[in-house]
Amino acid sequence: MDSPILPEGVKRCSLTTFLILLLPCFALLAWGGLSAVLCLWKGLNQTNMSNVFAFALWIVFDLAVIALGAGAFFTGFLTYIIDRKELKNIINAAVIIGFICYSGAMAMLGIDIGQPIRGWFIYWHANIHSMLVEVSFCIGCYLIVLIIEFVPIIFENRKLNEIKPIRLIGHNLHEIMAVFAATGAFLSFFHQGSLGGMFGVLYGRPFAAREGFYIWPWTFFLFILSAIACGPCFTILCTKLTEFISGKKLVPDNAIQTLAKISGWLLSFYIVLKIIDTLGWIYGVVPRAGMTFMDFYREGPYGVWLVVCEILICGVIPAVMLMIPRIRQNGTWLVVAGILNCTGIVINRFVFIVVTLAIPVMPFDRFWSYVPTWQEWGIGLAVLGYGVLVYALSYRYLPVFPKEKELNIIT
Amino acid sequence: MQMKRRNFIKFLVGGVAGIQLTPLPWKFTDDVAIWTQNWPWVPVPPVGAVTKEKTVCSLCRGACGIEVRKIDNRAVKIEGRSDYPVNPGGICPLGMGGLQLLYNESIRFTSPMKRVGPRGSGVFMDISWDEALDILSGRISKLRKKGHPEALAAIDGNPNESTMALMVERLLKAVGSPNYVSMPSVGDTCSMVNYLQQGTGEMMAYDLENADCILSFGSGLLEGWGSPGRVLNAWGLWHDAHAKEKAVIIQVEARASNTASKADFWITPKPGTEAALALGIAHVLIKDRLCNVSFIENYCFGYHDWKSLDGQEHKGFKSMVLDEYSPQQVAGITGLQADKIKSLAHEFGKAKAPIAICGKGKGSLNGSLYEFMAIQSLNALVGNINKPGGVLVHEAMPLSDLQKLKNDQISLRGLKKQRLDQAGTSKYPFTNSLINNFLDAILKRHQSPVDTLLVFKANPVFTLPDTTACYKALKKIPFIVSFSPFKDETALMADLILPDHTYLEKMDDLVCPPGLQYPFYGLTKSVVDPVYNTENTGDAIIRLAKKIGGSVAESFQWPEYEDVLKTRASGLYSNGKGLVGYDASHPVWKMQKAGNRAAPDYSTFEEMWEAIKTGGFWFTAKHNYQNYSSIFKTPSKKFEFFSLRIKSAIDIAAKQKPLKKVLKDLGVAKNADEACMPHYSKDESSQDSTEYPLFMMPYEMINLASEWAPNPPFSNKTLLDNQLRNDESFTDINPQTAKANDLKQGDRVIIKSLAGRIKVRVNITEGAMPGIVYLPLGFGHTAYDEFLKGKGVNPNDIITTNRDPVSGQIVWWNTAVKLIKV
Amino acid sequence: MKKDHGHVGKKYGMVIDLDKCTGCGTCMTACAAENNVSVRKDESDKERSITWIQLYQISNGKKFPDTRYSYFPRPCMHCDEDGRGGHHPSCVSVCVASATKLDPHTGIVSQIYTRCIGCRYCQAACPFDARYFNWWDAYFPKEKGLERYLSPDVSPRMRGVIEKCSFCHHRLMRAKNQAYAEGRREIEEHEYITACTEACPVQAITFGDLNNPKHKVHELIQLPTAFRLLERLNTKPKVYYLSTKDWVRRLADNYRPGEFKRLSKGS
Repeated sequence: MDSPILPEGVKRCSLTTFLILLLPCFALLAWGGLSAVLCLWKGLNQTNMSNVFAFALWIVFDLAVIALGAGAFFTGFLTYIIDRKELKNIINAAVIIGFICYSGAMAMLGIDIGQPIRGWFIYWHANIHSMLVEVSFCIGCYLIVLIIEFVPIIFENRKLNEIKPIRLIGHNLHEIMAVFAATGAFLSFFHQGSLGGMFGVLYGRPFAAREGFYIWPWTFFLFILSAIACGPCFTILCTKLTEFISGKKLVPDNAIQTLAKISGWLLSFYIVLKIIDTLGWIYGVVPRAGMTFMDFYREGPYGVWLVVCEILICGVIPAVMLMIPRIRQNGTWLVVAGILNCTGIVINRFVFIVVTLAIPVMPFDRFWSYVPTWQEWGIGLAVLGYGVLVYALSYRYLPVFPKEKELNIIT
Repeated sequence: MQMKRRNFIKFLVGGVAGIQLTPLPWKFTDDVAIWTQNWPWVPVPPVGAVTKEKTVCSLCRGACGIEVRKIDNRAVKIEGRSDYPVNPGGICPLGMGGLQLLYNESIRFTSPMKRVGPRGSGVFMDISWDEALDILSGRISKLRKKGHPEALAAIDGNPNESTMALMVERLLKAVGSPNYVSMPSVGDTCSMVNYLQQGTGEMMAYDLENADCILSFGSGLLEGWGSPGRVLNAWGLWHDAHAKEKAVIIQVEARASNTASKADFWITPKPGTEAALALGIAHVLIKDRLCNVSFIENYCFGYHDWKSLDGQEHKGFKSMVLDEYSPQQVAGITGLQADKIKSLAHEFGKAKAPIAICGKGKGSLNGSLYEFMAIQSLNALVGNINKPGGVLVHEAMPLSDLQKLKNDQISLRGLKKQRLDQAGTSKYPFTNSLINNFLDAILKRHQSPVDTLLVFKANPVFTLPDTTACYKALKKIPFIVSFSPFKDETALMADLILPDHTYLEKMDDLVCPPGLQYPFYGLTKSVVDPVYNTENTGDAIIRLAKKIGGSVAESFQWPEYEDVLKTRASGLYSNGKGLVGYDASHPVWKMQKAGNRAAPDYSTFEEMWEAIKTGGFWFTAKHNYQNYSSIFKTPSKKFEFFSLRIKSAIDIAAKQKPLKKVLKDLGVAKNADEACMPHYSKDESSQDSTEYPLFMMPYEMINLASEWAPNPPFSNKTLLDNQLRNDESFTDINPQTAKANDLKQGDRVIIKSLAGRIKVRVNITEGAMPGIVYLPLGFGHTAYDEFLKGKGVNPNDIITTNRDPVSGQIVWWNTAVKLIKV
Repeated sequence: MKKDHGHVGKKYGMVIDLDKCTGCGTCMTACAAENNVSVRKDESDKERSITWIQLYQISNGKKFPDTRYSYFPRPCMHCDEDGRGGHHPSCVSVCVASATKLDPHTGIVSQIYTRCIGCRYCQAACPFDARYFNWWDAYFPKEKGLERYLSPDVSPRMRGVIEKCSFCHHRLMRAKNQAYAEGRREIEEHEYITACTEACPVQAITFGDLNNPKHKVHELIQLPTAFRLLERLNTKPKVYYLSTKDWVRRLADNYRPGEFKRLSKGS
């Protein structure tokens, strides 16, 4: 039925099957839509956030997807600036994933603030000292860049491409993509860093506070590193998932392996620095605040296991796995390493957000716990639904993987 | 020209793009942001002229001075005032939230009403004041016509000395009913003790500010005892970093209340054994010669063994205490260590101005007569009576009596009938009213002897121990009239509502706040115009009496209630001393001590009255210290360790029935001599200690109203979440108790007593004594609005009441209970 | 002391004597009444209840009958620095919309409700939990008429914004206006005190200009018993506490074993 607008020379399932497969996404979106209406209409009392848990599930989702979406700018950076040609075969997927992650995060942030209608005050009454302002500016601008990067891919749709002006715009945009890739990379470095900075500058909370360089606490640099270490892995995972579901090979191995190798090196570098940073924190910030390392891991469910999980199991292990060619060349192990890598970074973001707030600073204060409401889950999962939907639509109607035709010749 | 679909789309796209280039989107973005800054559902308080009105807080009996800040005719804030003697600037958290009671329409009666729904449903219909008064006067006249004026009864929560209490009692007497019942208060026990030991029925007057050692027997100095504003201020003085000599505070209490926690020493006898502790201290004082011998020898009676005129030998206080209350014996009773009792006695005996005070918690309920006598005896032993920093002895407030009551034949016949509560009979010779007996009398008879009950400033269905009995008794009464401004539990059972003004809308007096060491008269005024169609109950009574007519009307010939107040206050003027102005740099306790005999700061009565109306108070700092030869009005004209009045009451009763029976009727477990002296006897509760192994103690908090006035919602912010969480309140128990009952923090548990069962959550704390279950008073309302209704449980629901010996009042502090884990 | 246009700037601050404080809660009530903080049906959810000054109950942890309770009343600390020497308090430097500021002339940290977008980053930044988010609109249901006691000095807050103790800034404005109307440039010590200071029935709270040697607070903060909450974080709070009790002082900050110094006399 929709065959005229499908990419040429590739096989797609029937529209009905496609829609049926997407039903769960629509369900998630409906759930999320209801939650969003409730939160916007009645206010944030619909959540279980509180004066203790000022940031909660949504911010964890936000920071997680922004880190995972880092594949877009970093792959763009590698493709256009470093000129790794093989990555052209995966850059479209990376851009789309990036777009999904960033737009989803922005939408979630819009609901997360108490006065969404005044959201633009961040730009209008900007406080340049705030890391969150830096984040907002950079993400806002970068989202525009992502849109600009996404548009030519959309324009490559068979039907759209027939329209001459659109074809021209698309082509010209392609020509100057390097400029946007550079802008995107620059913006992303800063907002990934500022997201880390946001927590590192919480000098009132010794659990998150870090020393640093000039105005940037070490978390600034660690967040950049961790984002670019896990972003490519997430792109790989998404591609692998697409390949698995469609039952086709979509990206040549060399592209995947390049990303995996770079990811591995970056992760190793990151983990080494993270360990140094943790030691510096244990022997610097923590004793100055009058505490010991173990003081932070005594309460509630947040024990030392978190550190072990984050740094060892989901850090050192995937780093080693990705660095060893034999392991990363094995499809299954590559996926395992990728999942561990991404999990580690998500744990890292969770720890900086939720655990930071859960641990009381005043000795006479107590530990609080937090469980999200269905409205919070609804909005969080709606981003997932939205992502799958956009990704699926893109895959179905756009030539996301340039080599798809080549790798899957229809007989 | 036809528009093609394609062109239309182009037009649309172009239009949308074009609008982006106009100021419209920017203007819109800005406008919606401005809208969020001015949401119509967020109230904008109107501005207006700022004024301040001074008045007196009468939410409790404390009479703290307050200043109400107003914007035009709206009261917007209550503050303490520094130009007022009782409380220099500070007030309690409840007083601070008073405006939430004034302006909360959902807890107030907005007009006179009659019941239309079933009793207790709270469904009423607005009626006019005339109609309301007609209904009531008609009912009373009918009772009088039938010759049963005594079937009219009143439960009155107004303080005994107040003019309103006189008005209510006068109304009943004029109609012909002896059944005027007042709500129990610690003042009842205090004045009884003073009557028996010092001969005057005045309140205790403690010169706390000048004392250097306060031995408090469970008095919640920080929980709202006495005048909260004044006591807390004294606390500040005692703890001032710059004070030369700090007072030592000793708290005797079985719970780590704020007072206990903040005291210098915290002593924890088993609840109910305080009298034994006091006598144990007396023992050490006597034995270690820490007494004021000259005071005892010259101005006390019954210290030594003595011989009465009939030649009989009587045991004196000294030998009784030495025989029965040695530290070891007392240690056995109280569970304290003997050494601790000794050191405590030394701390007390060696102080320059030690003072022992009584009245548990806020002092909103009565105490135990013998315990209070034992405590007051300590003050006598150290001779700290009528001295700076001691217990002062005052004459009665110089208020004038009201004109003599007119009685017709009907009322005289009615007044001859015995009171339903038997107060004043040989069983309860010194008690004025006994609400528990009153309710029992109604419950016991097949038909309620009370036809019409008037309720003033009281909410017995909530505040009386054993609320179930109260509720049942009230249900039996055919007609109840409430004068409450608030929709309290008792008012919801009423058939007719004649709503009073709240304290911020009316003029009324407050006489002698509890514990204050100088004569004080406070006057509230209408700081805002009455918000609803309510009427000062004083005026309503006058109008009611006029409607009843005859001698009743003649007894209430004043045009309005202010005239009644003036009539009484005229005595303050003719007394010839007193001040209506106050200078904060000369606190009364300093003036009194320094002997500043200031001349009255007014010259005519009218001048004085106007000044009282503006300033809200009259007081006198003139005090004759010591003067022992004339202050004691007891039969012996001395301070009596051995009360001759109790003795003569026993002697008189013993002429008609055997002595044993007399003592049994009085509830005394000891012999006739000891019945006249403070003593300790084990609570004879017949409850099975295996079935009910624990004791429940209700306690009061300063930030939770547990008396007649409802709790202002602001206080809910101050409650901890281990006191109230959602709609559940907590019981404090010791970890040991928790372990024995297999309970963890936050568990739900049923507390069961013979009187009933309530469900609460458990708060495990080391501040609780093992074996005791503590419950805060003030939760568990079934009336009012969402800020109060259904929040927590009311410990009064499960209190099993016993009778205090001689006074016959309620023993409410010792209920045997058990815990059942849910 | 920061020089400002040639003369020493004011630095308003508070001293709370914990030995005097009885935990009665009048400060909390006075604060809520003064600043139009609304009361909701359930205030027992302490994570969402708004209490600009909050009483924390602390215990010495001993067994019955040696247990003692005490209280920390905690208003906004009106910090001077962010803990790293930055001249913005932690919450001010993170605010995205410049909705909270440190006034260099008074030392008061303000909060502009109509500017705040409700991102709650400041809450995360504040170690004292002194900032409160309006999870709901101010609760003044029409049928109760409780809005009749609202004071026009402080605007009731809409939902979705942060609020916190302002050291009753409107009282400073009122006092200044009064002084200017009377032709004075300076206000007297007693003319500007916060609602909680005024209400405290035991006079445990003292308020004034920490920089002014004539003010009582200036003298009190020199006492050896004076200390601040979480002093080691270096946020330079302007709220001081007094206590002679070591167990109370010990709970004001985090100490590693052996770090806490008892008062010389002990207690």
